[in-house]
Amino acid sequence: MATLAAPARATAVPASSTGLWSWIATTDHKRIGTLYLWTALAFFLIGGFEALLIRTQLARPNMGFVSAETYNQLFTMHGTTMVFLAVMPLSAAFFNYLIPLQIGARDVAFPRLNAFSYWVYLLGGIFITVPILFQVAPDGGWFGYAPLTTTQFSSGPNIDFWVIGLQVLGVSSLAAAFNFITTIINLRAPGMTLMRMPMFTWMSFVVQFLLILAFPPITVALVFLLMDRFFGTTFYAIAQGADPLLWQHLFWVFGHPEVYILILPAFGLVSEVLPTFSKKPLFGYNVMVYSGIMIGFLGFGVWAHHMFSVGMGAVADSIFSLMTMLIAIPTGVKIFNWIATMWAGEVRFTVPMKFAIALIAMFTIGGISGVMHSSPPADLQQTDSYFVVAHFHYVLFGGSIMGIFAGIYHYYPKITGRFLDERLGNVHFWLNFIGMNLTFFPMHFSGLLGMPRRIYTYDAGQGWDLFNLLATYGTYLLAIATAVFVWNFVRSRTRGVIAGGDPWGAATLEWAIPSPPPEYNFAQIPTVTSRYPLWDLKTPSWHEGEDAHGDTGTPGPSPLKEETETHTAKALGIPMPYPTAKPAFTALGLVVMFSGLLFLRNDLFAVAMTVTLGGAAMLIGGLYAWLTSPLE
Amino acid sequence: MPKLSLRHAAPSALAAVALLALAGCGFTEYPNSTFNHHTDFNTAIDALFQRLLFWGTIVFVVVEVALVYTIIKYRKRPGGPKPRPIHGHAALEITWTVIPALILVLIAIPTVKTIFQTQADAPAGALKVQVIGHQWWWEFRYPELGVVTANELYVPVGRTVEFELTTKDVLHSFWIPQMGGKRDLITNKTNYLWFTPNADLGTSAWNGFCTEYCGSSHANMKFRLYTVQPDEFAAWATHQASPAVFSAAPAPAPTTPVTPVAQVTGADSAAAPAPTTGYVFPRERLETEFPHVLPQTPIPAGLTFDDALLAGGDPVRGATEGFMLGGCIGCHAISGVPGAVSEIGPNLTHIASRHTIAGGLYKNDAPTLARWIKNARHMKPGSLMNTIGRGEYDPILKMTNTGGLDDRQIADVVAYLLALK
Repeated sequence: MATLAAPARATAVPASSTGLWSWIATTDHKRIGTLYLWTALAFFLIGGFEALLIRTQLARPNMGFVSAETYNQLFTMHGTTMVFLAVMPLSAAFFNYLIPLQIGARDVAFPRLNAFSYWVYLLGGIFITVPILFQVAPDGGWFGYAPLTTTQFSSGPNIDFWVIGLQVLGVSSLAAAFNFITTIINLRAPGMTLMRMPMFTWMSFVVQFLLILAFPPITVALVFLLMDRFFGTTFYAIAQGADPLLWQHLFWVFGHPEVYILILPAFGLVSEVLPTFSKKPLFGYNVMVYSGIMIGFLGFGVWAHHMFSVGMGAVADSIFSLMTMLIAIPTGVKIFNWIATMWAGEVRFTVPMKFAIALIAMFTIGGISGVMHSSPPADLQQTDSYFVVAHFHYVLFGGSIMGIFAGIYHYYPKITGRFLDERLGNVHFWLNFIGMNLTFFPMHFSGLLGMPRRIYTYDAGQGWDLFNLLATYGTYLLAIATAVFVWNFVRSRTRGVIAGGDPWGAATLEWAIPSPPPEYNFAQIPTVTSRYPLWDLKTPSWHEGEDAHGDTGTPGPSPLKEETETHTAKALGIPMPYPTAKPAFTALGLVVMFSGLLFLRNDLFAVAMTVTLGGAAMLIGGLYAWLTSPLE
Repeated sequence: MPKLSLRHAAPSALAAVALLALAGCGFTEYPNSTFNHHTDFNTAIDALFQRLLFWGTIVFVVVEVALVYTIIKYRKRPGGPKPRPIHGHAALEITWTVIPALILVLIAIPTVKTIFQTQADAPAGALKVQVIGHQWWWEFRYPELGVVTANELYVPVGRTVEFELTTKDVLHSFWIPQMGGKRDLITNKTNYLWFTPNADLGTSAWNGFCTEYCGSSHANMKFRLYTVQPDEFAAWATHQASPAVFSAAPAPAPTTPVTPVAQVTGADSAAAPAPTTGYVFPRERLETEFPHVLPQTPIPAGLTFDDALLAGGDPVRGATEGFMLGGCIGCHAISGVPGAVSEIGPNLTHIASRHTIAGGLYKNDAPTLARWIKNARHMKPGSLMNTIGRGEYDPILKMTNTGGLDDRQIADVVAYLLALK
């Protein structure tokens, strides 16, 4: 690792830090985090634009704004984009940027693998997104139920892009997950015990395990589908007697933990924001950790609650129902502990704090409607209706997106050295908050009043007209809110108020170094004695009469020193990983290799072989060059 | 700058919850509402939902009030008390673990009871209906009564009806919101769903939907349910079970080797010359009392038909010429017509007795039917029905149909089909 390597090697590192090539070749977790952030925000805008078109088509009964085929592509890509290309990578942006800083490390365990994860994500994302420009985007829903997605019923290339794209994106997620697990286990600073880790790192830690356990089932499901579509196997071929529920089980064994993969990082982010702006430690740290682990664990035992209408039988329905209800308990504990964190605190209504409070308020609604679905007979009236659409948008928008925005406003000063504009931030928050409720609350009504999901049009006078119109207005409001945010995000990079190393009075290690952090993060690897090292430093009176911030750390003055000066790694003699484009090249090889399959659809066997073998050669060659070159 | 982010949001959300309860009451305004007690099935579901809504509302109020109270009371103020490092409180945390757990027990017990109650075998004597999903229409068979029909279900009130759900292609889901929950149609599997419409339920019409995404025209896969009185049902079923007869039937052309128009034969065929139309849910009642059940889909632009020809359509020529030349017989069965036995498309034996066509997408009248036959794929995205009109552009094959029928021949077929009462 960096800290152990001979300083003599460090002088050889090229110091280029600007220009396109420096980004392609970067192995710095902070720059990769920044790449994730920008890319994921771009996909967030694309997914949002798709939602805008969807809502425009549904504004009034029997609209002809888009065709049925286009609509089906739009809702498929809206879901696929938001889940795989926006929310997960936004979380990954924070994993990348924050985990090494929060645990006092100089980088992730495998910096080049980290770059590889990003490039696979970017290229896979482009691969799956571009077809919509040519009206051949995936159109089987983000859930891709067989047998609709088999060649018999979807003979075009649409589903090919989806199945290959998701397979590729899975590689990115898995590589990143192993990387972060290794990082968290091995690279924590001295004294940073597991139970002193910041809550964001803890929730991220849980999420990485969910990723490595949840992605294999969907990988298997996708390999089956891929082989059915290209090589004539019959995993989902109904004429050969396939049971289509095979896909559903495999998909939801992944799909339900995926929900927690999307929400737990947001829970982690608000668990950083709430204590900071309440000036109080997180209430019930241990319980917050255990409930996070509990949610992740139970999350693997509830998948079939997505399938109460498929006819599994009364016993299976009952078991999955009870398991689902159990999850409400650790989730509820988190809600109450967050409120208790603010109780008797000194609550400052900054923009990140507003988003964090909004998460508590909105996620609660999604949680309550979730308990309503957990009861199978009631769910039979709700599933595949707009009530479910309302439910999971309260979870994913009211939860994940609110938490991610809280994180962006909170950490933007750390990442860029400048604040996001507070006034624009407030405009964004309120438009977002009102827009979200205007969009999604009416869907509770239209769903319980009988409106099915995934329909591109509906007749007038069904009792749904008003709710649909309101939802469409809400979406337009969200579009304005997002425009305000983008303006703020871009403008504040150069015009924002300068932020110091610790602009919010926060407690954890990432705030003990300058903003933006130097390439080496910590000039001196800190020694940690409690969960809130910076507060120990700045509010030593809190030690009097009590244990140091809730754990058994050494009482007394903190050994931590705030770093305010930025040097170069070279000047400090800290060896850094070489910049290298080999991971990006390897990622390109992976995507090229898979995309060769597309040509099989048109019986271009020679072309397919050429592209696939060419891609494989790039992948193997890139890997060889990468693995045989020194890290630093 | 507003300081209290949720002060206004919480009451409005509460008002919305109250509105939700009200929404259950309206019938005419909310014709597909799930809050009603028209069947035993939905009575059980609604009882459960009301309990969920009750506890959900309490949890919602407690959490949001605690949240809003906390952020108001402990907002940063000059001279306010300084926060102290409180790390947790075991008794409190146990309390807010145990209370939700108890609430969940109160939900779980009736949930499991209702699961077993609603998924039990249907009571003996239930009317059996086979529901077969197709992209994108519904086939309904009454095996005990010998009835095969499409997109429109008749069910007598006061008697349990058991649906046997299967699909010929992809997954679909069978949902009549006013009658109860939905059940999926799974390929290579048979599912069951049963309910009993209340005996005091008047003769009424209800909307049904496909609620599992099934491809291009998922939105266009609808059906209608008519709950009718037992005598009306008997009349309907008897007629539907009889072979096709059309009232304007002159003798078929003697040179035709096959007789396209079946004559009712058998011992009790006294009514053959003037066939009864049995019972059909009255169109006027749909228009006045159940307008939400009538399809509203506008016919897409770009499809023309010479409607003047419809008045002169010849049903016999339609039967002998158009129905054969157009290839209709390749997919559609008409009971009593030799050779017309295919089960690919909807059974047309009594198509004129239906109020809708095309998976409930369009009204069943001559101008619409004519355009539908001429170019179904232009009227319904992805439709598997071939383009019949000569010179019509087929949006799926992406080519112009050089064979097929001209407008006059289509008018004949329409006249034939609309005679199949």
